[in-house]
Amino acid sequence: MNARLHLVEQEPPAPQLLGGAVYHLGPGAGTMTDLEPESLAVHRARFGPRPNASGTDGDALLTTLEAIGLTGRGGAHFPVATKWRAVRAAGAEHGSVVVANGAESEPLSAKDAALLELRPHLVLDGLVCAAEALYAQDVVVWLHEGAHAARAALTRAIAERAAAHLPEPPLRVVLGPGRYLSGESSAIVRALSGGPALPAFRREAGQIARINGRAALVQNVETLARVAVAAYDGADTATTLLTVTGPSHRAVLEVATSTRLREPITAVVGATQVQAVLVGGYGGSWAPWAQVSELPATDSALRPHGLSLGAGVLLALPAGSCGLHLTAEITTYLAESSARQCGPCLFGLRAVADLTAELAARRVRRRDTARLRRFLTEISGRGGCHHPDGAVRMVASAMATFAEDVSAHLHGRCLHEAGHRGRRG
Amino acid sequence: MRGQRRLRIDPIACDGIGICAHLAAELVRVDSWGYPILTREPLDAATERQARAAVTACPRRALFIDER
Repeated sequence: MNARLHLVEQEPPAPQLLGGAVYHLGPGAGTMTDLEPESLAVHRARFGPRPNASGTDGDALLTTLEAIGLTGRGGAHFPVATKWRAVRAAGAEHGSVVVANGAESEPLSAKDAALLELRPHLVLDGLVCAAEALYAQDVVVWLHEGAHAARAALTRAIAERAAAHLPEPPLRVVLGPGRYLSGESSAIVRALSGGPALPAFRREAGQIARINGRAALVQNVETLARVAVAAYDGADTATTLLTVTGPSHRAVLEVATSTRLREPITAVVGATQVQAVLVGGYGGSWAPWAQVSELPATDSALRPHGLSLGAGVLLALPAGSCGLHLTAEITTYLAESSARQCGPCLFGLRAVADLTAELAARRVRRRDTARLRRFLTEISGRGGCHHPDGAVRMVASAMATFAEDVSAHLHGRCLHEAGHRGRRG
Repeated sequence: MRGQRRLRIDPIACDGIGICAHLAAELVRVDSWGYPILTREPLDAATERQARAAVTACPRRALFIDER
């Protein structure tokens, strides 16, 4: 999450989130030392004063967000304007709580960390616009407790804004537990209401979430940065933020939405041949390289193919590696990340992870894969949150994308013997 | 006109005790770990009686009837 960022190439800044640079992340966690967060002065020089978003300006901003079709970049791609309208209506009467979600839980994603560490004021501008438009009485940035670099950048940015006496409500940073599901929006609502940071189940669908009676908006930090750009420019950036992971390293890139996915992936993996890509992160879907490489870098173009960019995450599997092995490791991680509240997730994902590990280790028979497939359909849609749904979707997509591997493993062979070296079996 | 009613579950509240599967056999089966899998079919007069019995009997108050 707090990986070291190195600026490799600097291109002329456009009205973008990060600009055209490729931010390479070194192996292992560390604090960002090479790059400084953008100061308030530099940020204001780029964008000018923050547009007002209270009163009728709030209506105008909402109209803009609807017109540009901005969707949530935490991964769900839910229309922002729809969410805002409900909270605004409730907030006008009783006030609201607006939360910037910077708890980037997806292990393969680093774009939120990059934004918070490099462009904290853009995120905070979006947050303040949301707070004004939605009548917020409490404005929060929610982070994982281990996100030291992001926290330092935000603390400094908030102090700069206070020193500049900006006309805006006080902003507070709240730290949640470091675990995977504490970035889930219902878990954040529960935690800020005084409960545990664990996902909640709401019996009435379509009702807005509330924190101690006030309507709550939880919005991913990249989404808020895009809200800020929309408030300034009346448009979105026509770019997508991606985190691309290859066999040796990872990078955060901002690419034009029209860019074919092969470009950012090749920029990270170099000459390495790629056989398949995990699109959308651990809860996303595997797809063959031939399919993914030609798709443009925008979620809406992926949907008709049964894929979603999620939080903008791509993992490239090199030719010669066993996709079932990697799938088993990811499934184990997801099973261990269960909030342990729902039986189908707690017991079901464990069973799926065990069977997937057995499949990877070539210790399965046909009846085991049949059982695995039955579990996948049985578990789907039965958790209090969508954690188990993402996990079984990912495993099901692996069974389809690596169908030849599955059949080889059933016969005790592996098509990528070399790809097993150095991995747990 | 009345909306369609369905038997639903709060999976966080559910502990997999399994009384529902006995009282509402047409609506509930259990998975490999003893947790209920509910039919997505709307309730009719006969199954609604079963559903109400299961809702009332659930020790965890995890079941509810949803009208939409």
